[in-house]
Amino acid sequence: MPNEPKASSDPGASDLIKPPRFMGLRIDRQQVIRAFFSVSAAVTIVTLFLIMWTLVTEGPFRLQKKLGFLPVPTLKGGFLDTYRWELGVYRKAGLEFCDHVKKPLTEHETIFSRLKRAVGAELNTVSKVSRDRRDAAILAKTHVEERAALQREALQEALDKTGPATPPEKIEELRKAVREATARKVAAEVLPPLFTDAEKQKLQEDLRGLQPDQEDFPPFIQELMAESAKQDGLAREKFAAFVTAVDEFEVAADPIIEVHDAMKELALATKELAVQQHMSEDAVAQLLAAAAIAKTPEEKAAFEKDAAQTDTTAIDFKGRIEPLLAKRADYEKLIPAYLATVKKVMADMPSKPLTGEARTLLAKARKDLPEHIKTVEASLHHMSGWKWDKPIPLMQSLSAFLFGGDWITNSSWQDFYGMVPLLTGSLVISLTALLIALPFSIAAAIYVNQFATLREQEIIKPLIEFIQAIPSVVLGFIGISVVGDLIKSTSDVAWLQWIPGFPVAERLNMFNAGCLLALMAIPTMFSLAEDAINNVPRAFSEASEALGATKIQTVFKVIVPAATSGILAAMLLGLGRIIGETMVVLLVAGNRIAIPDFSDGIGTVFQPAHTLTGIIAQELGEVSRGSPHWQALFMVGIVLFAISLFINWASRLVVRKFQLPKI
Amino acid sequence: MHAPVDPSPGGAAPHPFAKPKTHRETYEFLIRQVLRAGTYSVLLAVGLIFAHIIIKGVPVVFTTKAPFINTNFLTKLPETLHVIEDKQGKIYETSPQGSDVIKKELGGNMRSEKTISYSGGGILGPIVGTALLVLVCMVVALFLGIASAIYLSEYASHGKFIEGVRLAILNLAGVPSVVFGLFGLGIFVLSAPVLTDTPHERSLFSIPLGFTYMSFQGWDTCVLSGAFTLAFVILPVIITASEECLRAVPQGFRETSLALGATRWQTIWRTVLPFAMPGILTSSILGIARAAGETAPIMFTAALAFKDKLPWQGDSGFFGIFTQSVQALPYHIYTIAARIPQSEYSERAQYGSVFVFLVLVLMFAITSVLLRRKLRAKYQW
Repeated sequence: MPNEPKASSDPGASDLIKPPRFMGLRIDRQQVIRAFFSVSAAVTIVTLFLIMWTLVTEGPFRLQKKLGFLPVPTLKGGFLDTYRWELGVYRKAGLEFCDHVKKPLTEHETIFSRLKRAVGAELNTVSKVSRDRRDAAILAKTHVEERAALQREALQEALDKTGPATPPEKIEELRKAVREATARKVAAEVLPPLFTDAEKQKLQEDLRGLQPDQEDFPPFIQELMAESAKQDGLAREKFAAFVTAVDEFEVAADPIIEVHDAMKELALATKELAVQQHMSEDAVAQLLAAAAIAKTPEEKAAFEKDAAQTDTTAIDFKGRIEPLLAKRADYEKLIPAYLATVKKVMADMPSKPLTGEARTLLAKARKDLPEHIKTVEASLHHMSGWKWDKPIPLMQSLSAFLFGGDWITNSSWQDFYGMVPLLTGSLVISLTALLIALPFSIAAAIYVNQFATLREQEIIKPLIEFIQAIPSVVLGFIGISVVGDLIKSTSDVAWLQWIPGFPVAERLNMFNAGCLLALMAIPTMFSLAEDAINNVPRAFSEASEALGATKIQTVFKVIVPAATSGILAAMLLGLGRIIGETMVVLLVAGNRIAIPDFSDGIGTVFQPAHTLTGIIAQELGEVSRGSPHWQALFMVGIVLFAISLFINWASRLVVRKFQLPKI
Repeated sequence: MHAPVDPSPGGAAPHPFAKPKTHRETYEFLIRQVLRAGTYSVLLAVGLIFAHIIIKGVPVVFTTKAPFINTNFLTKLPETLHVIEDKQGKIYETSPQGSDVIKKELGGNMRSEKTISYSGGGILGPIVGTALLVLVCMVVALFLGIASAIYLSEYASHGKFIEGVRLAILNLAGVPSVVFGLFGLGIFVLSAPVLTDTPHERSLFSIPLGFTYMSFQGWDTCVLSGAFTLAFVILPVIITASEECLRAVPQGFRETSLALGATRWQTIWRTVLPFAMPGILTSSILGIARAAGETAPIMFTAALAFKDKLPWQGDSGFFGIFTQSVQALPYHIYTIAARIPQSEYSERAQYGSVFVFLVLVLMFAITSVLLRRKLRAKYQW
């Protein structure tokens, strides 16, 4: 609280004539107090302005000192400028050229891994049982060995001991200890029902005899291994055509990879030179600036001498790009053979796969392979049309940020700051959370306001509002420790496999984050929706009931429609809260920076993702001020800020647009 | 608020001549139960979360022996936990200093040693850090918040300015907390004014004051930066709550005071604030809970993953407490939950910290709710 100004003494006649004074000045004291409070109120506006100022001067603009002291935001040195420079080097050094080759290679990799999985699924039809038996036996062996590790280690040490050998009795004693411990563990080990009772006994017998100095697998496990190898051979024979075709497909890319690697080396060398030259240019600029404000002529001369000595010769991009361009011919030569292999794979894929997994994988491959051929042909086209000296306009770095599909940082190849993966992650998580939170919060709002008894109301309302007080980091922790495992174990249940996306691969995924964010949004949405329902004039429901409508009819046909604007606003503000939430998504969303693969339909929500808020929290602490990465994170901040302003604006618009007539 | 018009239509005792339930009634009953189930399942989910944290957290914080509280956990600083196993399978858990002693004692009998960062010791450092942050944050937020609320409720008349302020409050309330973190980093950490004899080279500009410089170079990551950032995060909450309490003071009080010849300021200071203040303070406790729970705003402005000293154990005097970075409970939880490899030992530290944190935050929230209810009953005009 501000100090209380001296209370005015009795307002004598003189006070009425003299103008009021404050601290000896001719100012009305009341005016001063008023001004103080209005300045305080203005702090909110100033804060909003300062938020924008910070985001803008650390993001797209950069403060440069004008006239020696006045900091003025300029585009030079801002994100757009630095990112454009990076993209320029990416092009001039030929990295972009190499990436034209890389694109088909990446595609090749994904298609190959799918085909490999399909091959595996097909082979499994023959060899799965024997392999599972082998794996189970080996697993049991490892378990037993791990659990008897203490005794085993003691024996091993005694055996390995150099110098005076351990007396045989001692060793025998240790061996006995190992045998006993092992036997105990074997008895505790539960073997899967893959084995018959006789086999189980045989295996247990083998396992009991385990000693640390025994190197070979026990005979029964060896038998299982031989059996598995035999079955695998049979399976490979059965699907020989498919297996060889896929193997050939894998090898077919090797010569292209070789060419690509050679190209990469050339390009990276040029890039390194360019970065060095840029750094020395910066150094010269700094030296010259230091020289300008140097105090003594000697210092000035020293700075200028240093500046003159720094090597800043421009790089001969044109000369260095020539050998890279020459590689195109090599690449072109390899293409026909490669395409022939691709077509062979397409022909040799089994038309009637035996397993469901192989069926879906092959269906995908059938769709992808023709696309792949097109990509390969397009890459040739791109390469022939590629120009190393095509300039990059400033706006291109902006669009590369807004619409770029890659967010790659600290890469040895090239950093990209495209926010699309982050934005899609944020949006998918928010929509999931909203879809979960909406029915619950509206049901709760309707129930509490219309059906609950007074006592229930008094308990439920504060409890739900209480959820707001749970810190987000605690909810995130719950997501890691409980909800993740819950989702994973639920998704492994056999009779739930019809749900798209099950079984889930990752414990931490967008759905997990969505559930917890829904819990965070429910209090906000509940309170606002409840207010909205509460504000519907009583006359509405009375009129409806007078016409003979039942309670439910009144609620759903009169009250809820009348409260639509408020409910929509509640939804929007809840959405704002969800999108802006940081800790839950940072902890729970899985933090994989990639655009989710939407081909899974609804199952997409079970993939991990990264978000706009999460990326700032995760990466800002590790980058140096003023680097393009730092600036890119502030650009992300601008996007978030804009989203929050937009949501606020939209919710006010909704409220105004659907306002009820005053009764 | 509507009182439920018809609390229990089916509640009357069944009598033999009752009409059988129509489809309509069954349908209505079902819908009602669905709504009720939706409401209670939210509460159930929250209840389960609490139960889980309590079940896992209580064994860490409390012990079965007197004094029943794990004092080490609450009074020690976080440190690296060393877990040493000897060849007989016995396991020792110890601090970094203790591990050297045990290793020497065991000699060749040691089988393995594991180290788990931040999971040993206690959580006094984070608790103290959070307390400092919240303290400074409340001073700043209450000062600015109440002053703004007084303007809005006592002085303001309709106009562009007041509309702007209200719009700003509304929008500030919606700004994501991580953006506040960026704001705090840009303004408080990197460009707030300090008095110094040698301006830093990153200083935006410096004003010579004769004996020293006022340099806009920022406060670095420290309690002050974090607390100011947090203050702006909760400012909208405080302003809204304070204004509500000021408006709840009946207009008649002001009119009486003014009629007796008091000035505007005297009216506010002597008749409005005394009645509004208890309400303002209790509603602001909810703000404390919010400020204590936020992680993103302090990540880049104040928090530190590890520190082996309490804030006052330095040699920089009283003011030094506020100009250094501290550990904070939410950030500590984030660190041990997500940034170190997980094991059974780190899990214990996690649940312990989460339990203590939740208890602290909820204590504030419950106090606020209860006090508010009491006050509402007391100040009825």
